[in-house]
Amino acid sequence: MAHRAAIVGAGHTRFGVLDDGPRALIRSTVELAFASVDRGAERKDVSEAFLATLGFGGSQIGNSAAVLAEEAGVVGIPVTRVENACASGGFAIRSAVGALAARASPLVLVVGVEKMTDVSNARRRYWLGVSGDTEWERLAGLTFAGVYGLIASRYFTEHGDASEALAEVAVKNHENGALNPNAHFQRKITRADVRSAPLVADPLGLFDCCPVSDGAVALLLSPPEIARRFTDTPVYVDGLGAGTDPLAVQERAKLTSFRATQRAAHEAFRSAGWHRSDVSFLEVHDCFTIAELLALEDLGFAGPGEAAALTLSGETRRGGRLPVNPDGGLKSKGHPIGATGVSQAYEIFLQLRGEAGSRQVSHAGHALAQNVGGAGATAAVTLFSVG
Amino acid sequence: MSNVRSLVRAAAYLPAASSDGVRVAAFDEDAFTLGATAAERAWVDRDRPADPLVVHLIGEFPLVADWGFPVLLGRGTAEMVRHPGDAFELARAAREVEEAGEGPALVVAADLPERAPGGAGSTPSPFGAGAVALLFDTSAKPGPSRFEPTAQDRSAVALALRVGKKGHDRLRKEAWRGDWDLAPAAGRRIDMEQTLRGANRDLSAVSEGAYVPRARYFENLPSRWLFTADECGECHEATFPSRDVCRRCGRRDTLAPTSLPRDDVQVVAVTTIGRGGQPTEFDAQVQAAGPYQVALVEVANGIRITLQVTDAEAGEVRVGQRVNTLLRRLYPMEGEWRYGRKAVPRSLGDARSHPS
Repeated sequence: MAHRAAIVGAGHTRFGVLDDGPRALIRSTVELAFASVDRGAERKDVSEAFLATLGFGGSQIGNSAAVLAEEAGVVGIPVTRVENACASGGFAIRSAVGALAARASPLVLVVGVEKMTDVSNARRRYWLGVSGDTEWERLAGLTFAGVYGLIASRYFTEHGDASEALAEVAVKNHENGALNPNAHFQRKITRADVRSAPLVADPLGLFDCCPVSDGAVALLLSPPEIARRFTDTPVYVDGLGAGTDPLAVQERAKLTSFRATQRAAHEAFRSAGWHRSDVSFLEVHDCFTIAELLALEDLGFAGPGEAAALTLSGETRRGGRLPVNPDGGLKSKGHPIGATGVSQAYEIFLQLRGEAGSRQVSHAGHALAQNVGGAGATAAVTLFSVG
Repeated sequence: MSNVRSLVRAAAYLPAASSDGVRVAAFDEDAFTLGATAAERAWVDRDRPADPLVVHLIGEFPLVADWGFPVLLGRGTAEMVRHPGDAFELARAAREVEEAGEGPALVVAADLPERAPGGAGSTPSPFGAGAVALLFDTSAKPGPSRFEPTAQDRSAVALALRVGKKGHDRLRKEAWRGDWDLAPAAGRRIDMEQTLRGANRDLSAVSEGAYVPRARYFENLPSRWLFTADECGECHEATFPSRDVCRRCGRRDTLAPTSLPRDDVQVVAVTTIGRGGQPTEFDAQVQAAGPYQVALVEVANGIRITLQVTDAEAGEVRVGQRVNTLLRRLYPMEGEWRYGRKAVPRSLGDARSHPS
C-alpha cells in the first residue's frame, strides 16, 4: 500500500457570510497554505494547479482558472477548473494526485472556493438548484432540499421514522462546529431546536439543512518521495475512488443509497488495501442530515437502515468509536460549494497531525473523506494516513 | 339522414376548487387543461375509431390548444376547428357537428369564469369553470341526438348541455342583470390574474430562472404528456424519459414507443415543500395557491416519475397511496406556459370524471 501523494501545506479561510469576494478569498487561502509549510515552499515550486468551483451566481462562470493563477501568484502554469457541483473539491484532489503521478511536479496546488452570499435572493435560489436535474426535478418544484426530502421520506418508509437520528446528526455536528474557529455556525443546538425549526421539505426542517456560505481552502500536494523536503509530518493520500449515478433520482433503482458513493468507497478501499476497521474518523458530506445516515451506510460503516441507531448510540460523536465530521460538517461549518471537498481534506490534515486543538480526535491515524455532488449523481472518496 | 353522427362517448371535467359553491379554476388550470382533461376521458383507446379525428374547439382556448390537442390525442388527429363564440355556443356547435360529415369528431368546450360572455375579464360567471368533450361517430348506431347533461355542476358547459341555447341565453341574461350573487368568487379571480401577470413578467427574465429551451420541451412532450417510454425488443427494458436509446443494452434499432399507465399509479416517496423552499419558478404559484407536495410515482415496474401534486392539501398525499395524473400548467417560461402532468389524489380524479 504505497502512498499516492502527500499534503504538505493547507490553508482555510473562515466560512460564513464574508466581506471578501472570490479573488480575495483565493489570495488569502493560498497565502495561508504556503505559510503552513513547515520548511517553506516557493510559488516557483508549483508546476500545476486545480480550481474547484461551481461558479455560483455566474459572475465569472467561464475560464476562472486564470483568476486562480493571478491570485495565487502562479500565472503561466497550467490551471484546470474542476466542476462536479458540491463534489468539485473531492474530484479536484483526485485530479491533482493524477497530475503528480503523470508529471514530475514538486508541488501541485488545489484551491476550492465559492462566493455565495453576494448575489440577489432570486439568483441565489436559482443557483442552489442548478446542479440537479432541471427539467424533471427542479421544474416539478424541487430544489435539493426537496430531493433530499423525497429521499428521507423513502428512508422513513423502508427503515422507520428516523427523525430523532436526523436531529442528533445536527446536534452532534453543531457541537463539533462550536469548537471550530473557521465554522459558519459556532454554537450548540438541541434536538428540540431541530424539531421546532420551520419546514423546508418534509421531513426536513431548516436545521436539517446546511447553510449558504462563502469560503476558500487550499492544499499543497507533493509526490510522497519528496514530501519530507517540505515537512516532517506530511499527510498521505493512500486511496482514491469516485463514481457517478443518473442525474435524476427518478432514474435510480433505489433512493435510500447512493451507488456513486458505494462505488467510490469500493475503489478507494481496494486501491489503498485498507479495511473499514483501519479508519479512525470520517469526514462525510452532510449537506442535509439524512445524507450523513446514507453516507455511513454507503461507505460500509453501517448496514442498510442501521445508521440511525449508530448515530443515536453516540459512537459518531467526537469521543465515540467512529467520530464523524469533527469539524462540524457542512451542517455547522458551512458549505461553500467548491471549497467543501477541499475543506474535508484540510480537517483531516489537521487531525492526523494532531493540530486540531480543542476538537482533536484521539488516536487519529487513518481518515476518510466522502464528497457528494448534488443528490448523489457524483461522489469522491479519499483515504488519508499519517506517519 | 344516414350521415348523422351519434354521440358515442361524453365526459365532463370540473375543477376541484370551489368558491361558495361555484367551481373555479386552480392556479395551474386554464381552458386548455380543462378541455384536455375532458378530452382524454372521452377519447380512450378502446373507443378509438380507425378514421382520422376532427377536433372542434368551443371556448376561448389559448394558442397551445391548436398543437396541444393533436399531441395529446395522437396521430389520428387530422384537423382542428375553432368555432366562433364562447362555451355557450356548445349546443349549437355540437348539433352542427352531429349533422355534418361521417368521420369521428370530438367536440371540446371549456369555460372559465373570467372568460364569461358579456362581462369584463374581471367579472366571474355564476356558472363556474368546467369542460366537456363529446365524441361523435357514425360507427355507432345512427339515431336521434343523444345529448344528455353529464355534469352535475353549474358550469356553463354543463348548462349548455342541459338547457340548450335558448335556455342558457335566458340564464345568462338573468345572471348579468345581477340576480345572481357574483361577489364571492370575484376577489380570488382578480388576485390570481394579477399574480399571473407578475409571474409572466418575472420569469421571462431568462437570467434568474432554470432554463429548458423550447426545443427540449417539445422533444420531451411525448414522455411528459403521454408517459411514453421506449421499450427495447432485445432486452425488454423500458427507458423513460424516451431518449432513442435503450438505457440497459444501448441498442437503438429495437425500440418501440409504449404508453405507461397515467392513472392508478403508486407514490413511492413524497415531500411537502415549505413556503420559501420552492424554486423561484414557483414563487407566484405558492403566493396564490400555497405550499405544494412533490411525489415520486412508480407508473410501471422500475419506471418512476417525479410529479408535482395538485388539487390536494399539503401533506394529504402519502407514501403507498395511489394517484391519478392530469395535464396542468407547470411553469411559465419566456412568456408562455409550459404544460405537463401532475398527480392528484385518486378519489378526486375519479369523482370529477363522468364518462357516460
